[in-house]
Amino acid sequence: MASPEIHHLFHNPIADHSFSPDKGTLAVARDNNVELYGKEGNKFSLTDELKGHEKTVTGVDIAPNSGRIVTCSQDRNAYVWERTESGWKPTLVLLRINRAATFVRWSPSEQKFAVGSGARVIAVCYFEEENDWWISKHLKKPIRSTITTLAWHPNSVLLAAGSTDSHARVFSSYIKGIDTRPEPSAWGERLPFNTICGEFLNDSAGWIHGVSFSPSGNALAFTGHDSSVTVVYPSAPEQPPRAMLNITTRYLPLNSLIWNGENEIIAAGHDCEPYRFQGDESGWQLAGTIENKTGAGAGSVREESALNMFRQMDLKGQSQVDTQLKTVHQNTISTVRIYEETNGNVNKFSTSGVDGRVVIWTI
Amino acid sequence: MSQLNYRTINIDVLDPESSVNFPMVTLLPPNLPPPETSSDAANVANQVRQLLRSGDSEGALRHVLDTAPLGGDDRAKEVHMAAVIDVLQGIRQSEMTRVLEGVCSGEGGSERADCLMKYLYKGMSSPGPSSGAQSPHKSMSPQSTGGFSQIQARNLGEGGGGQQMSVLLSWHEKLVELTGTGSIVRVMTDRRTV
Repeated sequence: MASPEIHHLFHNPIADHSFSPDKGTLAVARDNNVELYGKEGNKFSLTDELKGHEKTVTGVDIAPNSGRIVTCSQDRNAYVWERTESGWKPTLVLLRINRAATFVRWSPSEQKFAVGSGARVIAVCYFEEENDWWISKHLKKPIRSTITTLAWHPNSVLLAAGSTDSHARVFSSYIKGIDTRPEPSAWGERLPFNTICGEFLNDSAGWIHGVSFSPSGNALAFTGHDSSVTVVYPSAPEQPPRAMLNITTRYLPLNSLIWNGENEIIAAGHDCEPYRFQGDESGWQLAGTIENKTGAGAGSVREESALNMFRQMDLKGQSQVDTQLKTVHQNTISTVRIYEETNGNVNKFSTSGVDGRVVIWTI
Repeated sequence: MSQLNYRTINIDVLDPESSVNFPMVTLLPPNLPPPETSSDAANVANQVRQLLRSGDSEGALRHVLDTAPLGGDDRAKEVHMAAVIDVLQGIRQSEMTRVLEGVCSGEGGSERADCLMKYLYKGMSSPGPSSGAQSPHKSMSPQSTGGFSQIQARNLGEGGGGQQMSVLLSWHEKLVELTGTGSIVRVMTDRRTV
């Protein structure tokens, strides 16, 4: 396992991050703006800023093919940014929500994106040629609280959402004229807009922090504030799931997760390091941390010299400073994303967190 | 028309969108066992005390955690709580680790561990049985109010309450060693209160 590539961008929390498909550009949400970093050699340096939001930006996503960037913020707005000769040009999206937007992701087809919000709706947004405008349709029922996270099924119609009402749900976001009719699957056959294809609550009922479909789309994993990961295998439309497996951990809650193939999940959160879960329909278990902690942590402990020791005792009244975590991230990890994959198998993934670091891990 | 002081009306109750009107029952899983009555709980308590007397402390703890009235009424929960405290106090400090390892392993072991953690926190939040002066607080549960108030007397002083607290704290220490912080987090999120 190669050592992780660490980019310490600044000393602010990173709410969300996204890489361009060529990995040359990194977009991170920092306070009210989105900052674009360009890769120069082994380092990322600030190249551009997307200014327009008036409150904290909560989500950013770069569409892999079109290169368009979508952002959403607590000011209840979302913008689609397009690169023009005179710089990045924002287009306002009509979200029609009266609470903060919390999360945004492009669908794999890039024809649509979904915005989660505190107004207990998910705005599914698409471009209307006639009006030259991004408009939205709302997924409302039966959401009872803020949407915290979203994930798209590979068919771009099914959408998984996690909420603070402790339920993970799978909706159909089928929009006539935009989407092609999806093939029937275990989630459903006919899928008109706002069909509820699944609603899941695990026993200890924590707020949901992260959801993700497996590469095939035939399994769903979610993680919540109860420090557990739950994997659901649907059986048939309108039927209870074939299997719903809950893995409780001994760690602090996990915030975000991705699938690596069909039999491995990588999740990270408040314990500042990514963990690996392995299993299949018959059972899942924790397989340990991905972090290689044998070496010193990110802030690699300086060589212990007598001079250093006495200096520390003089300055701080202690011979050793141990304010640094042994992990690469020095604070909560909030987002885990796939960086590089081949046929659903992840080769590299990236994490960002409250410590202002973006880390690229090689598996 | 009578005088109505509009300032004293709690408008949040009248707003269906308000968070105080959130349907908490939606957070309970569908597989919750049917509510138990206090006489059921008393029966269980008797069985458990018998096990304890016969020296099978591990079996007693296992049984009392397996039969926790998650769907029971408040009275049943109180009776069961007393049984749990009895078991915990009836196990010697030197045996704690061995008993815990036995109880928290095997089929359903992690559920039992989470359940025990719930009882430890409930026990620490409610005054001990011997301190009658604080009986008005007796019905208070940290899970139903959603927070651990610092104002409430902790009765760490003299009397049976303090002794019970030290027993609970040593169990807590041993349990966290075994199940980590995840178990504490689940006590806060889980709506299946004990």
